[in-house]
Amino acid sequence: MADEAVHRIEIRAHTVEELRSFLDGTDVDLGCRPVVRRQADELVMEVYATLSHLNRLQAARSASGVTLNIVENATQTGLARQAEVSAGNRFSRRQGLRGLGIKE
Amino acid sequence: MAYLNVEEIDAALHTIAASYPTVTALVPLPNRTPEGRQSHALRIGPADAPAGNTVIMTGGIHAREWVPPDTLINLAADLLEAHARATGLRYGGQRFSADDIQSLVEGLQLVLFPCVNPDGRHHSQTADPMWRKNRRRVRPELASRCVGVDLNRNFDALWDFHRYFAPDSGVSASDDPCHPHVYVGPAAASEPETQNVVWLLDRYPGTRWFVDVHSYVPAIYHTWGFDENQMSDPSMNFRNAAFDGQRGRANDTYREYIPGEDVEALQELGSRMNDAIAAASGTAYALEQSFSLYPTSGASDDYAYSRHFVDHTKAKILSFTVECGRSFQPSWQEAEDVIREVCAGLIAFCIAARQQAVRIARPSA
Repeated sequence: MADEAVHRIEIRAHTVEELRSFLDGTDVDLGCRPVVRRQADELVMEVYATLSHLNRLQAARSASGVTLNIVENATQTGLARQAEVSAGNRFSRRQGLRGLGIKE
Repeated sequence: MAYLNVEEIDAALHTIAASYPTVTALVPLPNRTPEGRQSHALRIGPADAPAGNTVIMTGGIHAREWVPPDTLINLAADLLEAHARATGLRYGGQRFSADDIQSLVEGLQLVLFPCVNPDGRHHSQTADPMWRKNRRRVRPELASRCVGVDLNRNFDALWDFHRYFAPDSGVSASDDPCHPHVYVGPAAASEPETQNVVWLLDRYPGTRWFVDVHSYVPAIYHTWGFDENQMSDPSMNFRNAAFDGQRGRANDTYREYIPGEDVEALQELGSRMNDAIAAASGTAYALEQSFSLYPTSGASDDYAYSRHFVDHTKAKILSFTVECGRSFQPSWQEAEDVIREVCAGLIAFCIAARQQAVRIARPSA
């Protein structure tokens, strides 16, 4: 089931039209919101998809002017991060809550 | 340290309220989640003043965005400890004086709703880390994978996207109950979690600022997300049915009206927030309008700002979405840095909001 893992994918293009020609009408996960950032002379956005989904997309539509870069296996990263979620309840006895800011 | 789980978030709110009873109160939300969880908000301020100048901040609408709820809990803990000890507060290079903290806690009402979607967060933290929506099975007869509504497409702000947006706008929304990410729900504000946010806005009619903390980009966004903004034609707006079916395309004739004075106020507040983030971390966020590659419908920030256009008896709420950090689930060590920078930004935002309120109350000053 390795191909069912969701990957974080960076898409680069030179124009909005190139980006949209690749993404319009797909059900790719666009992250929290569909955001495009400009980096140097390129437009960059991040999406999330399984590798099989990504392969189907590449086969089915023009990716002219678009480059794809797999950043990470987001499912694998997220599963690893679950180990960094508290397992108990540190505040069940109504004590010991301090913030990270320095009081001075 | 570690990320807060959902039981801890609620326990933390109880702990804070019990520790600072003269300047806080727990606010139970009226609607339990689909999995039966009772949610709470925290009011900070010396007295319950529904009509007083109020900032509402929300987090955790999207389940997989783990940092925002921890950020709002941290914000409350820091503000209240500094206030109680009459100290200032520092995040990196951003320092707030004791007077800043006192004027914020005593001169403004702040309502924090750190985890709007605890069912989804629990699922993301214990099962599927990429889960985004709530956990309601809207149509039980459908396949077991058809669970959840995207709460940030469920607010009553051009919710019926087929009607309001151009067919080729690419609006980020779906009416398919099996859509894995952006199902809008069976009706506007159909979800108990959405209703809880709406209830807070109604409970505090003096709310004039709203910040919904999400992750990630990083960026600070202000309304509108419907289309590109314009400031010259008030008739070209989301309530005008003549433009139904035309909204949401970039670089065309339809653009969403927003008064110029509101843009100025939004940019002032956003800049103050961003300056503090840069001082705390060394790197500023982007400050932009919400509309980007595709429009959004049913989002919390657009709903909060739209209310006074729809009902003139309601106060104008200047609204933002903060997309914090650079990933959904950074390591806890990285998350702490994001929490610090966002707390710096949110405190600076509140101080700027209070100054706006004072200016409006005394226009000749």
